[in-house]
Amino acid sequence: MSTIRTYIHAFCLTVLLLVSAGIAFAQDPGAPGPLAVTREEYNFGDTAFQPTAFPGPVELLASIHYPTNLSGGPFPLIVLLHGRHGTCFVGGTQLLQWPCTANNSQPIPSYKGYDYLSEVLASHGYVVVSISANGVNAVDNSVFDLGALARAELIQKHLDILNTFNTTGGAPFGTKFVGKFDMSRIGTMGHSRGGEGVVRHYVLNNSLGAPYGIKAVFPLAPVDFNRFVVNNAALNVLLPYCDGDVSDLQGVHFYDDARYNVPGDLAPKHYVLVMGANHNFYNTIWSPSSPFPGATNDWLAFVPGGHSDTQCGTAKGNQRLTEAQQRGTGLAYMSAFFRAYVGGENQFIPILTGDAPPPPSAQTNNLFVSYHAPDDPALRLDVNRLLSDTNLTINTLGATVTQTGLTPYELCGGEAPQPQRCLPDEPNARQPHTTPSARSPNRGLSQLKTGWNNLTGNYNNQLPAALGNVSGFQAIQFRVSVNFADARNLADLAQEFRVKLTDASGSSTSVRVSDVSSALFFPPGRVGPVPKVVLNTVRVPLSAFGGVNLNAVRSVQFTFDERLQGAILVTDVAFASAPPM
Amino acid sequence: MKQILIHRCAAMAIIVLPLLLASGSPVFAQNSNNKDVSVREILRLPGRVLAETKSARPEGDLKVTGYRVEEVQLPRTVNVEIRGQQVAVDRAWRVTVTGGPFPVRALPAVIWIDDQILGNGIENETLSQISAITFDSSLIRQGGVVSLSYGENKETRVRVSQRLQLKGENQ
Repeated sequence: MSTIRTYIHAFCLTVLLLVSAGIAFAQDPGAPGPLAVTREEYNFGDTAFQPTAFPGPVELLASIHYPTNLSGGPFPLIVLLHGRHGTCFVGGTQLLQWPCTANNSQPIPSYKGYDYLSEVLASHGYVVVSISANGVNAVDNSVFDLGALARAELIQKHLDILNTFNTTGGAPFGTKFVGKFDMSRIGTMGHSRGGEGVVRHYVLNNSLGAPYGIKAVFPLAPVDFNRFVVNNAALNVLLPYCDGDVSDLQGVHFYDDARYNVPGDLAPKHYVLVMGANHNFYNTIWSPSSPFPGATNDWLAFVPGGHSDTQCGTAKGNQRLTEAQQRGTGLAYMSAFFRAYVGGENQFIPILTGDAPPPPSAQTNNLFVSYHAPDDPALRLDVNRLLSDTNLTINTLGATVTQTGLTPYELCGGEAPQPQRCLPDEPNARQPHTTPSARSPNRGLSQLKTGWNNLTGNYNNQLPAALGNVSGFQAIQFRVSVNFADARNLADLAQEFRVKLTDASGSSTSVRVSDVSSALFFPPGRVGPVPKVVLNTVRVPLSAFGGVNLNAVRSVQFTFDERLQGAILVTDVAFASAPPM
Repeated sequence: MKQILIHRCAAMAIIVLPLLLASGSPVFAQNSNNKDVSVREILRLPGRVLAETKSARPEGDLKVTGYRVEEVQLPRTVNVEIRGQQVAVDRAWRVTVTGGPFPVRALPAVIWIDDQILGNGIENETLSQISAITFDSSLIRQGGVVSLSYGENKETRVRVSQRLQLKGENQ
C-alpha cells in the first residue's frame, strides 16, 4: 500500500515540476529578444575621474547597448562592472599600470567582456552600460578596502553622466537619450572585485539619499572582503564551483549576511551554484579564446595540481563547462534576475526560486538555486533560523525542537561560542559559508551540524497551534549540504532523507528529498578548493503533502530513514512562497 | 586556538594600519601627522638592502625567483599600532618577492615570513615584483622563510628556498 502511495506521490510531483517547467519554458529569459540593438561608447578620457583618497586616476569609458528604436522609452537601466584584471598589454605581455604609458601599450578592454549579455538584454528593451575600471585595478591593492569604494564611486559617477544624458543631454550623444533612461529602475552586476563594487555602490547610493533607484544587485563570482550588505533590494549571487581565483566562494556571505539583517526586508535574495564553472569564462576578454594577454582558465592556472581534478580539471569524466556553456548560465540567470526584478517580467521568478528548471539558454542543468523569501508574513514563516544554541531546543516560532539519534547535534560557523568553522580539519576554501573576510572580523553562517547512525534518526520542529495554518505558502524549504568530511557519507553517493509534515489530527505525509531536489549530492572533486560544502535550498511544494491538513500543521520533521548513516549541514527551515507574480 | 587568534589579530593590525594610512582614512588621519605618507610613496622611497637572494630556478607555479628586504627611512615620523601598542616610527620594512610574471587576481597577493602575514602584496607595473610593507621589525628575522600566496590560504604558499640572511642591525 505504502509503495503505491509513494508512486502516486512521485507521479504528482513529476506532474507539478513539468507544469512549472512548462511555464518557464514558455519564455527563455536568455533568448535574444525582438528589438534591434545599437552599441556605442562614451569616453571622457583615461584620467577623467579621481575617486576619494585613491592613489590614481580612473578612466570614464563605457559601452552602451540600447534598442535601436528608442521611441518606446524610458527603458530600465542595467549597469555592468568588470573585476580585477591586467590593465594594459604590449604584444603578448600584460601590464598593471594606468594609463597605459609603456611603449606601444594598449588598454585591455575588460568592459567589453559582457557584450553577450548586453546584446540580449537590450534586445528585450533594456539599456545596458558596461563600465571600464582599469584605473581602479592598477592600484587598488594599495588601499585598505582593496578598491571597493573607488568602484562604488565610479559607478555613481557613471550614473551621474547617464542622468545628464537623460535630462539635458550631452556629448557625445547630444539629446538622443533625453527621457530614454528610467533612473528609478536600475540593476547592477559586478564580476569578481566588481561584485563587491556593486554591493558597495548600493550602500553608497543609499548613503547619498538614494538619488538612483537601484532595484537589483547581482554579484558574479564576487569577493567579499568588507562584508557590506544589500538590504531592501533584490540580490542574486552567482557562485562558480570551480572558481580558481576566488576559490573560497566568499561571495556567499552576501546572501548569508542579508537574510535576517533588517526586519521587513521585502526584497528576495538568491544565489546560484554553477557546477563546472570557473571564474574567468563569464568575461569573454578574460577567457582563453580571447586574443588578449592574461586570459586564462583560472582553475588550471591558479590551482596547484588542478589539472588532475575529476570535477574541475581535465581528468577523464570531468564536469567542466565550456566557455559558451558557462556564459549560458550567466546569461540565463542574470537575464532572468534583471528582467524579473528591474523590468517587472515576473514570469521568470520561478527560475530564480528553483521552482522551474534552468532554461535552455543556461545550457546545463547542473546548477543549484537557493532562495530566501521576502520578510513578509504572507511569504515567509521562519520555523527555525538555527542562529544560536537556543534553536537546538526552541525554534524561531517559540516551539519545541527535539531530535532522536542524531550525533553530533550542534551549531557551528556562526557567532561565538560556536566553532568558527564547521569542518575543522578542512581548509577555508572548502567551506565558503565560514571562510574569513580579509577586511572584516564578521563570522559566517550558523549551521546545524548533525548526522545519524541508523534508520531511527529524527529532527523535529513543533509549530504552535496559532501558527499552524501554512496553507498560504507554496513550500517548506531549508538549505542543506552533505558533509563530505564525515566518513558516514560514502564518497560520490548522494544522501537521502524525508521531510514529514504532521497535522493536529496526527495525520502525516513525508516526501523524499530526492523527489524534489538533487541538493543532497556528495560534493565532487579531490584537489585544492574542492570538494566544498555549499548549502543549497530544497523546496518541497506543500501540494506534495496530500492527506495533511495544511490549515493545522503541528510539526515539521526530517526523518533519516532512507540511509543507514549520514551527515549533513542544515539551516533556514521555513515555509515560504515566491515573490508575488 | 586562542594563540592563533592573537597571531591573526596582530597580523591584521600590521596589515590594516599601513593600508589605512594609504587609504587616507579620516579616522587614521585625525590621529597622525603622516597623512602625506602613502603606501605608494613608501613603495617608491629608496631603501637600504638588508637581505637579497635570486635563484636561477623559479619556484612553484608562481615562478618565484627570490626576495629583497629593505629598510626604508620615512620622510617623517608616523604613528602606527604594532601588536596593540601605539608607537611612533620613522622606518618601514619593504619585502619584495621577485619572479613571475605574477597573475593579476581578485584575491590579493599576501607575503609571509614563516607563519606570520607581513602584508598584502602590491604588484609592480611589469608584474615581476610584489611588495609588502611592515612597520614591525620583529617580523624581519634571521632565518625566516619568505613565501607568497593569493588570499590567506597557507596551504597554497610558494616558498623562496633561501631563508632570510640579514646583514646589519636586524640580524
